[in-house]
Amino acid sequence: MSGDLINALFLQILTGLQLGMIYAMIALGLTLIFGTLGVVNFAHGALYLIGAYCAVIIAGKLGFLYAVILVPLILFVIGIILERGLIQYFYDRPHTDQILVTFGLAIVAEEALKWIFGANNIPYPVPSWGQGIVMLHEYVPFLSGFVVFPKWRLILILVSLVVIGALFFLLQFTRFGLVIRSGMRDAEMVRFLGINITRRFAAVFGLGALIAGIAGVFGGPITQVSPAVGMKMLVPSFLVVVIGGMGSVAGALIAAVVLGMALSFTAEYSSIQQIIIYLVAVVVLLTRPRGLMGKKGVFE
Amino acid sequence: MSASTHAQPAQTDAGGQEAYFACRDIHAYYGESYIVQGVSFEVREGEIVALLGRNGAGKTSTLRTIARAHDPQLRSGEIWLAGQPLHRMPTHRAAQSGVQLVPEDRRIIPGITVEENLVVAQIAEPRGWSIEQIYEHFPRLAERRKQEAITMSGGEQQMLAVARALARDVKLLLLDEPYEGLAPQIVQEIESILREVKSLGITTIIVEQNAIAALELADRAVILDMGEVAYEGEANHVLDNQELRDQYLAI
Repeated sequence: MSGDLINALFLQILTGLQLGMIYAMIALGLTLIFGTLGVVNFAHGALYLIGAYCAVIIAGKLGFLYAVILVPLILFVIGIILERGLIQYFYDRPHTDQILVTFGLAIVAEEALKWIFGANNIPYPVPSWGQGIVMLHEYVPFLSGFVVFPKWRLILILVSLVVIGALFFLLQFTRFGLVIRSGMRDAEMVRFLGINITRRFAAVFGLGALIAGIAGVFGGPITQVSPAVGMKMLVPSFLVVVIGGMGSVAGALIAAVVLGMALSFTAEYSSIQQIIIYLVAVVVLLTRPRGLMGKKGVFE
Repeated sequence: MSASTHAQPAQTDAGGQEAYFACRDIHAYYGESYIVQGVSFEVREGEIVALLGRNGAGKTSTLRTIARAHDPQLRSGEIWLAGQPLHRMPTHRAAQSGVQLVPEDRRIIPGITVEENLVVAQIAEPRGWSIEQIYEHFPRLAERRKQEAITMSGGEQQMLAVARALARDVKLLLLDEPYEGLAPQIVQEIESILREVKSLGITTIIVEQNAIAALELADRAVILDMGEVAYEGEANHVLDNQELRDQYLAI
């Protein structure tokens, strides 16, 4: 293989990873909320949006590091308030009712932000330490010549990997995670063992919102910050959840990478790029109707 | 249902004290379908009661009502355990008050190991046996501690389901069809485990299609018919009474 081809491939993969990771952070919240509470949360894109707007304001007034700390906390609180104040009354209702109420919520958030900040994109400058490009050829031995990648996009990939790693650790290696995983498989039995699983599931909703907030802080400069971005992010993230299998965390992660790569490798053919994620969804769902790692009986 | 076969008034303990466990006129529904139709009975501390009846008599529904499951929904009546009003509690609070259901089909949690199934049982207070104590009593579970629990045999899963209940501070054990779907040899094994549980003096209600096995274990029997208590008396009496067996149990 020629050096140019290796360079191009490497950049495509890196771009795909960056696209996939931002969807993954939104999709993980979506799939966790669905897997625990059984709710399809169409307001999840709006949580990303709120995260991004909060980040712009806090970064502008106090500095970026404050945004990194405060925005996830704010979103966690918003998530808990949303779950306790509204969503919990819809657990026993049909999925269509849940979709209507969360979709309605997304529209309210979008219109409210439009009312306050206007419909246009508001500037969200990357902090000075995240600006510029990284000379990848200086660090990666098999690259030749001159290969560069925007520094902020690399930071986004790293942050996503840390967030996703932390989430996996929480779910796989802590007691809280054990209870959540058990509750996802048989919530009633977990209740029979004396655990108030509903309260812990509410925390999961907050956790999903928190991750969407982190995605908003770091993804905002790339996706831009305008009221329409919420829906723009929600649709591919929702496809990620469906392709990965409703309620599956590992499935969402794999699907996010697959979609990111599909988008990256079709970037030169914009007409194909427009439809590629739907094409992938169709192919996966035709061959595996429950998604890559979906479980029997979920959403059927 | 005729009045003559209707429940005899529930007996209270000598001295007229409150019974350890009592359901009083409980009515429960699956949606609009009326399943538990005014069941009343009592259980003394340390006693084992066999809850019997034909298919569809409401046995499992009665157990699930006592454990305060979401379904069937308890609409009226009272359930008392050791002075605590279970009828006012959600599922997890009833479990914390000492009700422990070993459900039909065992309901071992998939995707986690044997040990993790026991750990989940010990998250909420109050706890019963430690995991070490459980392994001492059930060495088979100790051998399989790292195995995904759902991949064990039916008998081993039943053993785990009982052990999981003992991992909690159980005041009332509800056993729903503990022998269901098990080979005769395995049934014997589970029987010996249940006799051991009996020797611990744990108050127990057992529902079982295999009425003879349940009656051999139990002190007393309560027979349900059409969602109501049709008979209440000594377990031996039911074993010896062919008329009762024909009428309600078909054995």
